[in-house]
Amino acid sequence: MWNWFYKLASPPYVFGVAAAFVPWLLGVAALTLGYGLIDGLAIAPPDYQQGDAFRMIYVHVPAAMLSLTVYVVMAAASAVALIWRIKVGHAVAAAAAPIGASFTILALVTGSLWGRPMWGTYWAWDPRLTSELILLFLYVGVMSLRSAFEDPSRGDRAAALLATVGVVNVPIVHFSVVWWNSLHQGATIVRLGAPKIAGSMLWPLLSMWVGFMLFFAAVLCIRLQGEVLNRERQAKWIREAIKP
Amino acid sequence: MTANGFWSMGGYARYVWPCFAFAIVVLAWNLVSAHRYLAAARVRAARTMAMAAAEET
Repeated sequence: MWNWFYKLASPPYVFGVAAAFVPWLLGVAALTLGYGLIDGLAIAPPDYQQGDAFRMIYVHVPAAMLSLTVYVVMAAASAVALIWRIKVGHAVAAAAAPIGASFTILALVTGSLWGRPMWGTYWAWDPRLTSELILLFLYVGVMSLRSAFEDPSRGDRAAALLATVGVVNVPIVHFSVVWWNSLHQGATIVRLGAPKIAGSMLWPLLSMWVGFMLFFAAVLCIRLQGEVLNRERQAKWIREAIKP
Repeated sequence: MTANGFWSMGGYARYVWPCFAFAIVVLAWNLVSAHRYLAAARVRAARTMAMAAAEET
């Protein structure tokens, strides 16, 4: 176990593992997303209050959960890179940031589309929406800071520091619906006790969530290979790695 | 569910379909941009190796 953990600090090992995992991750992601889409759009019954508008849950909730998960991955990789000076940590954080930002935008846009028919407005300065918007600003800040320095290693360290400190926003986003009087509905799935959603609606949601997670892992592996190549292109092992 | 009912989404089609369409756009963008990023990194690495080989000779 520890041996495998230590190997993750090795750029050639990470490059090889990332390349090997991509087709499997994409294949299973396509299957789970396909099932989730068909079941969620055509088979699951309409909600008794929201009607068919509730079907936006199958994109909005996985995107929102992923926006938080990716931030935690990015912050953890940044902390590992800062504490143990492991370069692969910076590469993982740099690869994760644009993916996380895109899923945060997806969560905000789909939430906005869902909010219009349910709340009567596309946007409200609600704690959940505002903290999710701050999450997007954090992603943009981390990416901007990384590219703002001429010396890439200084950019990496500055971005890692911001990513690590910014992780404090993740529990704020998650618990905002509990701590404040929010327009946004409370937790439906990730909560103490059983989920507050019928099984026929829950299964496609879980399938979409797994599909989004696997898709993120696949895209992270592709971007990570690019990050490792960019950072290690002077190394001798690269010659073997990029052979067609 | 009938075909008409499916496409009209109970009167919420103007919100539901753009929501799913935007999700597909984001997923596609992620996949394409990641592949382009990797391809560009491969080209840069190959160029660096070629320059190093030229300097050696």
